[in-house]
Formats: sequence, structure tokens, C-alpha cells
Amino acid sequence: MVIIANLIQVLLIAISISIVFSKDNTRVVVFLASFSLLSACLYFLNKAPDVALAEVAIGSAIMPLFYILSISKQREFIVMSHVDDDYLKNEKNQKGKGYLLLENFTDYYKLKLYIFNDAEKAELKGIFRKSNVDLIIEKDESTNTYFLIGKQSSILMNKLAQLVENDDKTIVVKVKESETRD
Amino acid sequence: MNPILSFIIILIGIYGICTSKHIIKSIVCFNLIQTGTILLFLNLGYSEEGHIPIIGEQIEKIVDPIPQALMITTIVIGSTITALALILSIKIFHYYGSLYWKVVFDREG
Amino acid sequence: MIKKISLLIILFIMLILFIQMQFDLKGYLNYFSHEYFLSHTYKDTASSNIVTGIYLDYRLFDSIFEASILLIVVSGIVYMTTKEGEENERVFIFEKVKISNLLTILSRVLYPFMLMFGVYIIIHGHLSPGGGFQGGAILATAVLITYYIDPDKITKFSLIIFLEKLLFISILIISSLSLLTKNVLFTNFIPNQTSNTYRSIFLILLNLLIGIKVSLGLVSIFSSFLKEGRS
Repeated sequence: MVIIANLIQVLLIAISISIVFSKDNTRVVVFLASFSLLSACLYFLNKAPDVALAEVAIGSAIMPLFYILSISKQREFIVMSHVDDDYLKNEKNQKGKGYLLLENFTDYYKLKLYIFNDAEKAELKGIFRKSNVDLIIEKDESTNTYFLIGKQSSILMNKLAQLVENDDKTIVVKVKESETRD
Repeated sequence: MNPILSFIIILIGIYGICTSKHIIKSIVCFNLIQTGTILLFLNLGYSEEGHIPIIGEQIEKIVDPIPQALMITTIVIGSTITALALILSIKIFHYYGSLYWKVVFDREG
Repeated sequence: MIKKISLLIILFIMLILFIQMQFDLKGYLNYFSHEYFLSHTYKDTASSNIVTGIYLDYRLFDSIFEASILLIVVSGIVYMTTKEGEENERVFIFEKVKISNLLTILSRVLYPFMLMFGVYIIIHGHLSPGGGFQGGAILATAVLITYYIDPDKITKFSLIIFLEKLLFISILIISSLSLLTKNVLFTNFIPNQTSNTYRSIFLILLNLLIGIKVSLGLVSIFSSFLKEGRS
């Protein structure tokens, strides 16, 4: 029995070393689930069946679910548009100019693009903090220019400003967290 | 069983926290340290001829039950603290646009 | 590179100190508490499982604060993820991914058995390994399976938080009821002269309350993860 316990412990050390040195995040989560399953076996060999039951239920079933949910949330780019013309059109043959730009941008960072259409102008105060919107698109009717409004603190906005540098019709605006622009 | 081997897991976790570049990986390393600590505590009360701590017939010696009762609460609290850290990491991603420690410290100024 | 090498040296010094401490520790260990708990637990707390007897009778004060930490963390997570104002329609992630038929049918078969196993572990907590925390976690995984069967099964989110607060207050009231009968806080409120079968009612009641509270807390954390940034 002592030999089996020592062998499991050496296996645990090997898994933890591979967690520290691996680069892929989803692979780390799978390693963590197997790590807690093996450690539950070790608790039972230490004559503690209560702790082993708690570890099996929580450590290897619920915690990897939390990790995977949060990793999938961190690959999203959420856009809220107040424009209702062809600029953000997404159909088979013809894609809008703005949609091509955003698709190019999100492919570069390997993010997923979500666009919400909001026809009515909602209140802008404090909207970034509450609902995780990354970008707001507005249109000025008189001069026919589009405004892309984003956070000043985000590093993604620098790349977006670089992309639209030689385009006169689109302007990137960076807003601080406490300011409002209407 | 061997306390030195379970202390090595804690040391690997400390090394991972100090050198990791991504926020998610440093949260995972906290869980490694938690498992190592539980193994150390269970090892304190272990004895070779002891029995599982449930009262029955013809049992003369048992394992120490106090560390086991403390460790059950540790596991439940550890899962909720991990969930809190993950929610904060989602907020950090949408604020700074990246989850690498270097980018976050540079943007902070 | 210099940083990593110095870190490795510090960790190696810690390992050597720990091995040195391990030899000193042998002199301080004694086996007094093992014999005490073996001979006294069944008489004092009426539970065969000594671990359950410890965290529901000898150290009930610790368990109450553990439940309060769970409540504080859940309320903090809910505060950070919800937006005040009227609720919009929610977009769950399972609506975009198509779930295969095999998974839904198998989870529909498995669901009642998982519920039964969780309730069994909670109710037999004072006789066999198990108890409120472990059974609550198994109940939570059983409820999370219903997200595969029907994505908007759980709609009343504020009701879950209200129930959890109510359960915490009832745990406090039941555990401090012994002030009236025995003049001591935080022990069994049924007097010592009655038989052990009646005295274990207190253990079953507290295990049930703690189990439901833990499962509701985990479910509310999970559903606030799904709702995050969408409503």
C-alpha cells in the first residue's frame, strides 16, 4: 500500500511540473482535473474518506467547469452599434465595409466577434463598467462619418487606430472611464 | 504518505506563481498550493495501525479526526475563492484588453 | 535568468529547512486526542462518524463562520455581475452550440439518480462518510446537468439568493437554540437523557440545511458566470 501511495505522489509532482511549463490554457484545465482526481485517491489512502468525497465532487467536477466558462468568456469582442445602414451588413455575397474591418481585426487577435444592434440611443454613462461592451459605433448624419468609441485603457484600441489610419470616413475615439460623450 | 514529497508540490506552486506570465495560470498554481497543504495536514494525524474514524465494533485505534474536519471546510472555501478570482480576471480582460501580467503593469503606468 | 536562479536557490533552502523541521517534530506528536475522541464522541454527540461529530457539535462555531464566508463570496459575485434596472432577455452560451441528442438523453436518465445519491449522502452523514458539504456539492452537479436538458430552466435568480439568506438565518437560530434548554451556546439542543436516536435529529436537520445552502451557493455562482456581461 505504501508503494502505491508513493507512486501516486510522484505522479502528482510530474503533473504539477507539466502545469507550470505548459503554454496552452485549456490543456492546463484538463491537467488540473486529473490532478485533483489523483489527489482524491491519495486522501483515501490516507484514511480520510470524507475529504476524498468532497474533493471528487468539487475539485474534479465543478472547478474545471468554472475555468472553462471563464476562458470562453475571455475570447469575446462585444460590439454595440447604433447604426442601421449597410455599414455593418453581414450576408453571403456582400459584407459591409465596417464588418470587414472588424473581422480583420478580430482574426488578428483570435477573438470571437459579437454584434448587438441597439436602435435606440441608450444612456452612455457608466455603460462600460456595467455590461462589458468593448466598442460602440455611431454615425454622424451631416458629414457621413462613423465614430468607433472604445476605452482608453484597453490595448486593443491602439491596433484598431492603426488599422483605420488612412481612412477619412472612420474616426477612433478613446474615452476615459469617468468621462461621458454625447 | 511522505511529507517531503507533498512539500515539493507546495514549492512547485510557489515557483509557478513567481514565474507565470498569464493570470489564469497563476490562479491554477494557487490550487496546487492548496492541495499540497491538505496533504501535509492529513499526514500529521496518520498512523500505521489506525482505522478510518467511524465508530464500530472491535476498533482500538483510529486516525486523528481533527485535521480531516478542518480540511473539508478548506476545500469548499477554496472553490468559492477561485470563482471570485475568475470573475475578477474577466473584468480585467475587458478593461485592459489583455491578460498578460506585463501588459497590465505597463498600462497601469 | 538571474531572477529564476535566485528563486530556485531560495526554494532549495526552504526544502532543507523543512526536512530539518521534520526530524524535530517527532518529539511533539502524541496520541492523546485519538483515544479521547474514540471513547467520548458517541456519548457526547450521538454520531458514529467522528468527523461529522466534530464539525457539528464540538466545533459548530467554525462551521457557522464557514457558511457565512460562502454567503459573503456569493453576494460579492452577484453584486459584480448584475446590472440594476429592468432585466433584458438573456443569451446563454448553450443556445449557439448545438448539443447532441445522446448527451441530452443520457443526462435525462442520469438526473434522478444523481439527486437520489446526493440526498442519501446528506441524510446518512452521521452514520457513514459524507455530510452536508459533500452532499451539497453532489446536488449542485445534479442541478447543473439540467442546463444541458433545458437552458432556461432556472429563471428566478433573485429567489435563489433570498432562499440562501433565509437558510443561513435558520442555521444560526437552530444552533443557538441550546441556550434555552442547556444554557450553553452552539451544541445539541435536545437534552442528554433522551435516547441516541432522538438526539440524532439535530444532526440530520443541520446536515440538510447546510447541504441545501452549499448547493444553492454553487448554483448561483455558476448562473452568474453565464449571465456575466449579457443582461
